[in-house]
Amino acid sequence: MTSTLPPRVTLRPPASGVAERAPRPRREPERIAAVLTLGALVILAIGSLVDIDISLPRMLQSWSNAERFFERVGAVTFPETGELLTLTAQTLGLVLTGTLLAAVLSVPLAYLAASNTSPGRTWRVVARFLGVLARAVPDVVLAMVFVLMFSLGSLPGILAIGIHSVGMISKMFADAIEQIDEGPRLAIRASGASTLQQFTAGVLPQVLPSWVATVLHRNDINLRGSVILGYVGVAGLGLEMSYAFKSLEYGRGLGIAVVIFVLCVLMEIVSSTVRAVMLGSGNTATGPFDRLLRRFRRSAPALTPRRPLTPAATPESALHRPWTGGRVRNSIAGVLTAIAIVAGVVVSDIQWNDFLTFWSRVPEVAVRFWPPSFGSYEVATMLEAMRETIMIALAATLMTLVASTVIGSLAARNVAPNSTTRSGFRLLLVTVRGIPELILAIVLIVISGLGTQAGTIALAVGGIGLLGKLIADSLEEVDSGPERALTATGATRLQVYTGATVPQSAQAMLGHTFYLLDTNIRAATLLGIVGGGGIGYYLLNSSQGSNYATVTAIVLMILVTVLVIEGLAIWMRRVFR
Amino acid sequence: MPTTQSTPPETVVELAGLSKQFGSTTALDGVSLTVRRGEVVVLLGLSGSGKSTLLRHIDALDLPSAGSVKVLGEDVPALSGRRLRALRSRVGFIFQQFELVPSLSVLENVLTGALAELRGPRLGLWSYPKSKKLRALAHLDRVGLLDRAYQRADTLSGGQQQRVAIARALMQNPSILLADEPVASLDPESSDQVMALIREIAYEEGLTVLCSLHQVDLAIAWADRIVGLRHGAVVLDMPATGLSKAQVMEIYGRVATSTDEFEAVQTELMNEAAR
Ligand SMILES: Nc1ncnc2c1ncn2[C@@H]1O[C@H](COP(=O)(O)OP(=O)(O)OP(=O)(O)O)[C@@H](O)[C@H]1O
Ligand SMILES: [Mg+2]
Repeated sequence: MTSTLPPRVTLRPPASGVAERAPRPRREPERIAAVLTLGALVILAIGSLVDIDISLPRMLQSWSNAERFFERVGAVTFPETGELLTLTAQTLGLVLTGTLLAAVLSVPLAYLAASNTSPGRTWRVVARFLGVLARAVPDVVLAMVFVLMFSLGSLPGILAIGIHSVGMISKMFADAIEQIDEGPRLAIRASGASTLQQFTAGVLPQVLPSWVATVLHRNDINLRGSVILGYVGVAGLGLEMSYAFKSLEYGRGLGIAVVIFVLCVLMEIVSSTVRAVMLGSGNTATGPFDRLLRRFRRSAPALTPRRPLTPAATPESALHRPWTGGRVRNSIAGVLTAIAIVAGVVVSDIQWNDFLTFWSRVPEVAVRFWPPSFGSYEVATMLEAMRETIMIALAATLMTLVASTVIGSLAARNVAPNSTTRSGFRLLLVTVRGIPELILAIVLIVISGLGTQAGTIALAVGGIGLLGKLIADSLEEVDSGPERALTATGATRLQVYTGATVPQSAQAMLGHTFYLLDTNIRAATLLGIVGGGGIGYYLLNSSQGSNYATVTAIVLMILVTVLVIEGLAIWMRRVFR
Repeated sequence: MPTTQSTPPETVVELAGLSKQFGSTTALDGVSLTVRRGEVVVLLGLSGSGKSTLLRHIDALDLPSAGSVKVLGEDVPALSGRRLRALRSRVGFIFQQFELVPSLSVLENVLTGALAELRGPRLGLWSYPKSKKLRALAHLDRVGLLDRAYQRADTLSGGQQQRVAIARALMQNPSILLADEPVASLDPESSDQVMALIREIAYEEGLTVLCSLHQVDLAIAWADRIVGLRHGAVVLDMPATGLSKAQVMEIYGRVATSTDEFEAVQTELMNEAAR
């Protein structure tokens, strides 16, 4: 097996003095600072992992805890059918209506926030800030506030979901608006259209698909999060589950968890189907159902015969748009959406006159929340709890990052050794994405009895579905030219991966990781509410003990943390262009 | 170290009956071509005539449907693993779109040319040995870009990027240099610079060069030998030095890439005749 290649001849041995004549590597202080910050974050995250004590013996212990738990609790039980249906309808109605509210509110906000549509800089800054604020305040906290102002029922939950979701939807929507092709809008402006007309005719049609996709995605997230709202008194499956666990009916609690779990999976399927239908065949969604749908469409092209565009006989007859397959499909989708929305509003049983009465209660409620104070808690205790929440988020993010880099790379077409590997890992990612991490956390915490560890692991697992997919996608998006060039130099697959693929997607990967960290900080807060340790525990306690000034103080702490992370992310994006 | 004059010219690339199908398209149709050490061969042909496909076969980036590809004495389609990579490292490839990694520094891009000599994955300048860095700097010096070593690759002009790509290819210590329309994305001045550089390196180092172009005038200026392709078959193979006017016209007749070009040369010839 010896090579028959002629011996290698070194071209041009190093000329003397190149090293001296070469410029010195540029070391921008800002870049060094950013690298050091990143390093510090990684070290902190490793420290957190050690501190939280996630280790094999611990996991084995939780396994035996779980075994004992099931011996003690016995079988999982479900609520009776009628009750189950009512609860499910309540939860779904709440989530759908809340998401819808956010979808509507986010349009004007995004209009003001996008640099190319905003009427002015001040508007833009204010709108962006409102978005960040809405995103930073967890919906649970909003629900706590609204529960005080409205009669019990779904309205506090709907408003909480609606307002919190505006943050994410308006941001994604504004980003999409900023990325449009300006040409069409320019053409419409040139024809003398008003600013609003330019928006509706030149901008909206371009960004509608991304808006729909974002709203559907948010709807999935909201359903997953809705269970927590139950812990602060919003009616639905979550409330029922929290009652069950509080009264030590573990079997029933787990039963409801299973129901929510199944609902989440069903909702994913529905939304990926809707996405596929509404966004047409050109979409790049990669869920298994998207693929199934696409395959179906490819194998049955006869369903929508492409008729040649014959000119209509008269302008009058052309007035009526022909019922093509696409139009039928869109209309059906539209009608179904409308039905779902109306049904959502109806089952939510909204007390409309609350909207008239709640104003009078705003001052009274506001006074109870202000000024912030830690009340009977010691400052040190609260800071320690906040630190624990941050540690959980960091540790979970690090575990997710390591696992997702491996899984995401193997799921990327240009990295995976063969297509079977790629499909296998893509499937794994889709499956993991289907797991609602909070439900997983609740179940793990209940059955293992180890709050912080179980919560961290649940967050870490849940994150893989998201980050793994984002990493795989960003790896696949790189320009293949440099990869080919390195292959042509005789580099190995691994060398091509680190030499050409990773450097091209590093910036995107960094951004995604910060996005996950940001999500995890909020999720870690919620974990505390269900017994996962950290600041959430005190949040729930002070709200149940009516210490609203403490709630405000805790929310401010969370807000500062989230804003710091957001600021770090923006800084990193700028430094590592 | 250039080859000594005494050794007889040796065959480095030998294609025999090479055919390549992409589905129903025939990209190469029974190409036979022998290239000797130190030759500078320019492939001419219209878009879609198979120039890129031919070059890609020499570096095993494509595998033949039929026929044989022998490079530096190796049966290329039979290679795999380590031996395939060893062959590729002896063949430098220069792309029309440069294909540098945009976010890496110029120096690190050049260093990636040495990956085949190194073990394991590399990321970041610190992961390369100092000796390689010195050699990379020397190659950058040669292509006139030493002062840009630590700049990001995507901040350079097209002509500069192509020179970095040449430095990366040199970093491989190649015996053969393949260049696929290396100047098609460049302005005329940068084109001349890049072609001059390739030519100069080929002579000084005794490299064998196969370069595809679609400008006949460039080919005549820089080649030792011109090979014309049409519909995947060799339609022309002649030395490029001491060409008569009639021969130049013949080249245009067989492979002219545009009627514009054809007319330009025709008028030039007529002007000259009139003088
Ligand atoms: N990967 C591929 N898949 C399918 N067809 C291909 C592929 N690569 C090349 N072809 C086809 O093979 C033929 C020759 O292509 P090739 O790229 O070699 O031409 P070329 O002479 O380099 O053209 P150009 O001057 O435009 O670069 C073309 O018809 C092209 O469409
Ligand atoms: Mg080509």
